[in-house]
Amino acid sequence: MDTELNSSLSLKRYVGFSILSLLGALFVAWLWPREAKTPEERQALAEGRVIITYWDRHTGHEYEARKSLIDEFNRSQNRIYVRTVVIGSRIEKLLTAIAGAAPPDICSMGTSVLAQLALQGCFTPLEDRMKECPYLEEKDFFPHAWKMVCFDGHVWGIITTIDTTCLLWNKNAFRKAGLDPEKPPKTIAELEEYAAKLTIRSAAGIEQYGFVPWQPWDQTFLWGVMFGGKWWDENTGLLTCGSDPAIIRSLAWQQSFSIDPRSNSNPPYAVDPARTSQGRLGGAYQSANNPFYTGKVAMITEGEWQCTFIPKYAPDLDWGVAPVPQPEEVPPICNSQDGVADAIPSGSRHADEAWEFLKWFYSPRPDGRPSPASDYCMLIHNIPPRKEEALQERFIGDPKFGVFVRQLLERPAASFPTIPAAQFLSDIMDEQREQLLYRVVTPEQAAQTIEQATNAETRAAWKLAGRINP
Amino acid sequence: MTRMERRNLVNGLLFASPYILGFLLFMLYPLAMSFYYSFCQYNVIAKPIWIGWDNYHELFRDSDFTTALYNTLYFTVFSVPLSLAFSIGLALLLNQKVNGMSIYRTIFFLPTIVPVVASAVLWLWVLTPDGGLLNGLLLQFFGIRGPGWIADPAWSKPSLILMNLWTVGTAVVIFLAGLAEVPKELYEVADIDGAGPWGKFRNVTLPLITPTILFNLVMGLIAAFQYFTQVYVMTNGTGSPAKSTLLYALYLYKTSFNYLKMGYASAMAWLLFLVIFAATVLVMVSSKRWVHYHGE
Repeated sequence: MDTELNSSLSLKRYVGFSILSLLGALFVAWLWPREAKTPEERQALAEGRVIITYWDRHTGHEYEARKSLIDEFNRSQNRIYVRTVVIGSRIEKLLTAIAGAAPPDICSMGTSVLAQLALQGCFTPLEDRMKECPYLEEKDFFPHAWKMVCFDGHVWGIITTIDTTCLLWNKNAFRKAGLDPEKPPKTIAELEEYAAKLTIRSAAGIEQYGFVPWQPWDQTFLWGVMFGGKWWDENTGLLTCGSDPAIIRSLAWQQSFSIDPRSNSNPPYAVDPARTSQGRLGGAYQSANNPFYTGKVAMITEGEWQCTFIPKYAPDLDWGVAPVPQPEEVPPICNSQDGVADAIPSGSRHADEAWEFLKWFYSPRPDGRPSPASDYCMLIHNIPPRKEEALQERFIGDPKFGVFVRQLLERPAASFPTIPAAQFLSDIMDEQREQLLYRVVTPEQAAQTIEQATNAETRAAWKLAGRINP
Repeated sequence: MTRMERRNLVNGLLFASPYILGFLLFMLYPLAMSFYYSFCQYNVIAKPIWIGWDNYHELFRDSDFTTALYNTLYFTVFSVPLSLAFSIGLALLLNQKVNGMSIYRTIFFLPTIVPVVASAVLWLWVLTPDGGLLNGLLLQFFGIRGPGWIADPAWSKPSLILMNLWTVGTAVVIFLAGLAEVPKELYEVADIDGAGPWGKFRNVTLPLITPTILFNLVMGLIAAFQYFTQVYVMTNGTGSPAKSTLLYALYLYKTSFNYLKMGYASAMAWLLFLVIFAATVLVMVSSKRWVHYHGE
């Protein structure tokens, strides 16, 4: 038995088998298609075209819109073929791809993480390439939109879409409350008055919420801006909100909308924060059960993409759009927090071809039609970051979408700080706002914590990059 | 060592080499590197910078770390014993001689095979404060306006503990195997001695399933300390409301993948390992007092 076993497990046989397996594996690897995956890609390779990879952060209709335009590019080409991969918005995938020397050639990114990744050397600066393209000059863009992609003296991406926030109201709810459905609140005092009238309570709880400042998600940045506050100093790249009276006022105002369990005189619009936090009013955001569509919330601060969502999910909703109310004494301003940009990751193997595609995407078509980028904005109802494109009739002429666009044209806009700790800032704003609503911290403490913690993170990020915060 | 023995050793090692290589490359190397990174500042792209014990010192100054540790201990201390008691109770019920028992057993095991993300989304609907299934039932049948559950800092951790009871299927199956091991003669003896159902459970069943309890306790502890997916899905990765569901694994994830502080997160991971290791050793040492093996 022993001899039998030994002979069957002999070293010679083992080595032979191992070599055979290895050769087999190598053969399969050799056969495995390296570049081409779809018939179109194989065709493109056969034609001698260079295949470049585009990582899209979007899924659903936004991806479909982008894909249709990329298909148009691919049809027009005999040199380049763009392969689109849906990757989502998680940044660790890009990081590991860059660290593993296999980055995509282009990736679409949320502008809020651009500085964080740029500081770590994730992207190729684009300013020199942009000089070649007459349609990518700084003067053509909304000033705040251009700043979203600039950091540390370089331009790290081409901004594709920008957003802005308006007040949306349910006209039927206004009628039922005896309010004029064509007259939305213009000031914070009016907003409070309307919120009180539109809040309907019953024994089972609140039937209809008038207005909740932290719906559909944390809007701490927006309210700071609307109250005339300054979150950060663009020159130092550091937050200054800790001692900004307007920011502190905006935080106190948000707090006034949450019921204080120790007080007997809560405002009539005050609500329980536990029942009104993000996603807790019932119904998925992108569905017919969105609380604004079902009438659970009468007024909400939302972005221009609702011009696509509402006709799709709540076609019967009678709604209006107006600029977000502000305190009477504060000069008009608007919020344009984030955007989406295309960037070329460091280590891209086809950076020139990637640039070729980007130039096509952001320039008007040779036959005089608008740029694919502006078509993309139209298809997904986002605002084009180039002023000239935003002025196109298809954007500004829409009675609802036009309100969003006009406020960007008529008012100064504030965007989220382009600092390497932007993601941290967004998280800590949300956290401190929650602590504020539960009265764990005061508005002053919240503002100071946001400033101190974020500045510490910013400094640490610069230090980690071997640099000193300029 | 004879020539034959040496040859056998070499052959044995060669045959085990795919596993050994895999273990070295995909387990030991990452483990060793994470230990090294725990003493570094590291963000994946740039080269790690050695900073000694700074990450560990920083952890004890980090209030979020303390919060995460407290939340995790709270969850573990309540969730593990409750899950054990619940799964023993279910196993006892599913151990009865009733027609169609295999169907009941399957039904109770079903939640365990539901993908975790899907079940988390489902629970989100059940626990929605206004219009959620649970609060709807409470209002309809008892006239009670239920709490905010996962959205209320006071109720969020109890909600997670409650949710965790839904997936005790695996423990129940193991307990069923343990119950099948209890010799029938002992129940007969207990019957002769006039023991009631409680007496039989307390003096026969429970002592004899203690090895199974020990196994489920250790596994439960490890799982509770690493509880992540449900809370990530249900709070959108934030640990809200007011950090009340910021569990250790979630904070570790945020630190590493949101803020790219891989060194700091590695230090957290090693500390978690130490905590789990200490808890397991404690349970194993104490088990000598309360675990009874057959034939001992």
